[in-house]
Amino acid sequence: MNWSFGRSSEPRRSRLARSAPSGPLQDYLNTPLPAPASPLDQVRLLALDLETTGLDPARDQILSIGFVPVDGVAIALGGAGQLLVRPTTQVGESARFHGLTDDALTTGVGLPEALAATLAALSGRVLLAHHAAIETGFLGRACRDIYQASVHFAVVDTMALQFALLSRGFDDEPPQGSLRLWAARGQYGLPHYAAHEALTDALACAELYLAQIAELQAGRSLTLKAVLSA
Amino acid sequence: MDAEVREVRDFLAAHPPYNALPARVLDDLPSRLHVRYFRRGSVILELGQPNNSLFILRSGAVDIRRAGDELVERSESGTSFGTSSVLSRQPSQFRLVAIEDSLVLVMPGEVLFHLLATQPVVADFFGAGPPERMKRAVAEIRGDDSGRIILKTRIADLLKRAPVTAAPSLSIQQAAQIMARERVSALVVAEADQIVGIMTDRDLRSKVVAAGLQGTLPIEQIMTRDPLTIPSSSLAFEAMLEMLGRNVHHLPVVDAGKLVGLVSSGDLMRLETANPVFLVGDIAKQTSAQRLAAITARVPRLVGQLVDQDASADEIHRLVTAISDATTRRLLQLAEAELGAPPVPYAWIVLGSQARHEHGLGSDQDHVLVLDDSVEPAHDPYFAALAEQVTAGLELCGFPRCPGEVMATNPRWRQGLAAWKRDFHAWVLEPEATAVLHAQIFFDARAVAGRTELADALRADVLAITPNAQRFLGHLAAQAVERQPPIGFFRGFVLERHGEHQATLDLKSGGVHAVIELARVYALANGVTAVNTLERLQAVAALGALGTESLADLTDAFEFISYVRLRHQARQYDQGLVPDNHIAPDSLTSLEKKHLRDAFGIVRRLQQGLAFRYQTHVMT
Repeated sequence: MNWSFGRSSEPRRSRLARSAPSGPLQDYLNTPLPAPASPLDQVRLLALDLETTGLDPARDQILSIGFVPVDGVAIALGGAGQLLVRPTTQVGESARFHGLTDDALTTGVGLPEALAATLAALSGRVLLAHHAAIETGFLGRACRDIYQASVHFAVVDTMALQFALLSRGFDDEPPQGSLRLWAARGQYGLPHYAAHEALTDALACAELYLAQIAELQAGRSLTLKAVLSA
Repeated sequence: MDAEVREVRDFLAAHPPYNALPARVLDDLPSRLHVRYFRRGSVILELGQPNNSLFILRSGAVDIRRAGDELVERSESGTSFGTSSVLSRQPSQFRLVAIEDSLVLVMPGEVLFHLLATQPVVADFFGAGPPERMKRAVAEIRGDDSGRIILKTRIADLLKRAPVTAAPSLSIQQAAQIMARERVSALVVAEADQIVGIMTDRDLRSKVVAAGLQGTLPIEQIMTRDPLTIPSSSLAFEAMLEMLGRNVHHLPVVDAGKLVGLVSSGDLMRLETANPVFLVGDIAKQTSAQRLAAITARVPRLVGQLVDQDASADEIHRLVTAISDATTRRLLQLAEAELGAPPVPYAWIVLGSQARHEHGLGSDQDHVLVLDDSVEPAHDPYFAALAEQVTAGLELCGFPRCPGEVMATNPRWRQGLAAWKRDFHAWVLEPEATAVLHAQIFFDARAVAGRTELADALRADVLAITPNAQRFLGHLAAQAVERQPPIGFFRGFVLERHGEHQATLDLKSGGVHAVIELARVYALANGVTAVNTLERLQAVAALGALGTESLADLTDAFEFISYVRLRHQARQYDQGLVPDNHIAPDSLTSLEKKHLRDAFGIVRRLQQGLAFRYQTHVMT
């Protein structure tokens, strides 16, 4: 984990807000995030999962965005959301991986609308994702494309947490594959989910997070700083 | 942007009461819930803590414990808990502890109350709605089942014969002779179709014998004049109240001034069909198979009543067996009355569940004849006729013929004692597994009529050789451990995957029968004469061949599985279905499922012990 980000990111977010156009991005940047010193049991997060045509934000497209809020130690299913994003080019072969066909995606919304909704849901919340680089990379790229401005998220990455948890007290690296979302969930006895759509994966990530902080906090209380990664 | 959380919706759709919600309500429900995670050992709700949430276990396991740490229930996936404190708005009387890492869906109290108010299925399920209250009230009334019948039956239904009457001028002695001949306990004294009095056994005792009165006196001197009467449309309980109020035991039944019958307190007590003593007594009085069948037709309902009254499976099995035995004996008496005395002594031997005193519902007949060795071929037509008559009678009484023809009607199973000994020796020394499998039923045998010493002699002979018949015992053990109790691991039952019994549990094969076969191997290996499964296990334990803890575990397991099976069969009978051994887990409470799982687990453990002892994996 990168401990340097344990400090508050608000000064930096204020700077970015000043250079962002008024609208969803500026609103998001102007809403304070939970302070790193907040007790973990009170931190508000948004578990987020993107389905994309590939792994490269510069080349690939966002197809679907799923999210569900986490309020402290409870997942608030009432705030769950899922958006299909109408792509600008054909999805074609990549449908094999994400299951989203061109036909299904034509019912989606445009990326600007999807991004605005996602930023609104993220307002005042820490971004929670499994291998968060995908989410931050694609959302950052989308902000630059649409608002010509930069964004900054406070992030908790369940994959990084899992690495830290599995490495505790051992010299060896965690076994290969054990960091993947479904393998990590298995270690906490979390149920198997059949459907792999964005919202399901976001929920799966949120549940994994609850299990991880329960494990980390056994017998003690931690603050957000202890799990914040970027 | 209302997103349907499909995983949660589908999960709720698979568990009661949410599975019964209209799609619109179900689709909307997940968005009203929260998800919480509890590590193993953490407390979800503390004793005495206020609670305004319903919990639905998504994964993991949760123990619900009362003050004093008594386990009330072990929740499994799909169970809702925390209801009592939400509904009562009182501090929790339970401590909820995650015993595995658990994922829990949390329903805020206001959401639950809204569901209770708008969805009757939810109100019913949580016992908050009027239908449930009604059901409970009915169940309370049904608790006293004899009362229920007596509340419904009319006197007209009880009258079986025309009343026995006598003129007032008849002598006491003549009247007593009529009573003896007609087997009645009272005479209605009538003159020109008008009731003038009643004379009972009690009058003969107290007014004649005790007072030293002459038998030549007319009965009008001792009869009770102008007795209380009752119309045939009265309910049985009204008659009973009259009798209790006036301390009488007989009431003449009069419709429109005309005598139509006599009802006795015995008739009313016989309504308590839950008292099988009356059934057995009735059986001995019947004079035809048809009449016997009318009585045995009451057995399924009797079983249902006994189950409702929380009688143990062992008690129910013994009562049903007593009725089956009495029916068999009466049919034999009737056959002998018709065919004449048997040419040589015989013993009528029942096999299988009846022999073990474990008769339930839907059992078929299994029996053989052991004849005295003085039997000659010329005698066979007599025993063939006897067997056919009894078998046909039993069939009429609801016991289907054995599909494998293991019945006294089969000449193969109608033979002298010496021939039987040869058969048993052959089975015990038989090297073939399949032959032993078919012969198993013969090792659960009991004489119900005739010369029981013939059966005793055969049993002593057989049990003298079985303890040393290692190969025979090995085959029996291999078969006993082959029956798989339907249990996978902690959470899941293994359900029947094929055929018409899909998604049901077989309570017989891997449950009841697995225990029966275990007990049989142990009994034969130790020369135990008992045939009843529990008695066999006790005898084997008394010999030190089974640990006392295993005995207690196995006894509990057998009782519990048997009880669930009897209750299931009684319910099927109530619904007009043919009783079987396949139960849908949905019809069980989660506590029952847990007990059943434990029971199957015990059976499996003891099977493994047996497999180890007899090295069944090397048997072929």
